[in-house]
Amino acid sequence: MDFTDSQLMELVCRWIGPSKEFLFPAGKPRTITDTTDFFRVEYNDILVLEGRPFLIRNNEKEGRFGIDEQPKFWVKRAIDLLDGSVKIIKLVFHEHFKARAGPLTFECVRSPLKEARVIALASSHPNLMHGFSARDSRGNLVRVVDYIFGRKLEEHIAATDKKTHIEYFHSSFPQILREFIESAGAIKFLHDNREIHGDIRRDHLIKDRDTGRLRWIDFDFTYDHPENRFGYDIFGLGNVLIFIAGGGDITIQRLRAENPEAFSRLSPGDVNIIFGNRVANLGKLFPYMPEAMNRVLLHFSAGTDVFYEETGHFLDDLVEAENSLRGA
Amino acid sequence: MDKKILIAVDDSENSRAALLYVAGLLGGFPGFRAIILSVVAVPEEGYFHSPEERRLWLDEKTSAISRMLERYREILIQAGFPEAKVKTELAVASGVPVSSVILEKQEQFDACTLVVGRRGISKSEEFLFGSVSSRLIHQAGRCAVWVIEPVCKTDSLSKKNKNLI
Repeated sequence: MDFTDSQLMELVCRWIGPSKEFLFPAGKPRTITDTTDFFRVEYNDILVLEGRPFLIRNNEKEGRFGIDEQPKFWVKRAIDLLDGSVKIIKLVFHEHFKARAGPLTFECVRSPLKEARVIALASSHPNLMHGFSARDSRGNLVRVVDYIFGRKLEEHIAATDKKTHIEYFHSSFPQILREFIESAGAIKFLHDNREIHGDIRRDHLIKDRDTGRLRWIDFDFTYDHPENRFGYDIFGLGNVLIFIAGGGDITIQRLRAENPEAFSRLSPGDVNIIFGNRVANLGKLFPYMPEAMNRVLLHFSAGTDVFYEETGHFLDDLVEAENSLRGA
Repeated sequence: MDKKILIAVDDSENSRAALLYVAGLLGGFPGFRAIILSVVAVPEEGYFHSPEERRLWLDEKTSAISRMLERYREILIQAGFPEAKVKTELAVASGVPVSSVILEKQEQFDACTLVVGRRGISKSEEFLFGSVSSRLIHQAGRCAVWVIEPVCKTDSLSKKNKNLI
């Protein structure tokens, strides 16, 4: 559908309010149809994708590798001018880089095509972000995803506001674990369809304010691990689980400072198999942790000789662990 | 009837060591056929910027691997394998583990022994990326699996075959 400038102004006023002079000092909006140079797509531009207009707002930000939140210039928050909904618009940014997992590095690619595929698959799953993809006038594959209002997992856990681990473990953890198991089912769904999430970490899991479910976001990473295609995803699930079970990260530095007696009981095999400064064998610290639960955690410890190769196996064990909590 | 040995190789040093081990151990002895297999694992299409880039990657890779297989074939022949008893095979796979392609080929050729090099990766690397040799050891059901360390001793090999290594 083609829109005249005045129609676009009218749509903007409908969702933003009658401040068009402030929004468009030139008297009319700037319409963008080619997003190849994503730096040129700016605040208050109107991006028209396959006939649908979106008012561009701010760049999204993300913190990684201990660096403060950085703007992602290829990811824009926007308003769908046809229905007023808030969207995240992901423009094409081909990036090939070395991903790091503890001391290990591997080649990783930011792939619009892979994310578009996963988004198409995700539309039927309540624990995945939803959206669609569209080509701009130059054929760039743009992803338009629904903005999920809610808290990141870390904030969700912090909001339980429990003073001690035992209090958290008995009162809040069972419900959070149930939610996590449901969300891990979404990753199994992807794997069953030969897709990967690609970047599973706790800040890619949002507690949706509207549905109450944990939902995974950001599917654009892919890599080439032919012998173990799902291994990095499963590792990510293990890390999130350890985080949930501990009520936060339990690092050896923190433990040494705050609980030297517990620290002295740890052996080299008790830490995370990749992140050597995080404790994975939480059962050693929290004796009320049921064995079935700790057994799952130990699959992600440096001492393990048995790895999960399929998400289904991880989930089966986790459901058994959840059942064991009722007797704990 | 000849025994068939399937040597699975890539462009790594440890693969070369595995091939040289077979050359040194069996070259010149009658009763063996060798199949040198290389599996080109093509990353999924989203890994590339365009189908053209993927096609170029595959063309370059298969050319390089074909040349390597020819060199490896020559090594076995020089070691004493009859020319007619050395075969090369290049398989292209996408979305499946390399180990499963190797096992399919083992069945297809009815090889009694699989030979691979050992990368010597750490436990954490195996956890994240997987290990071809480890999977072959666990999943091969109808053949022997030789996993060759790059520093394998060659004391028991004949002098002629030692020179190859």
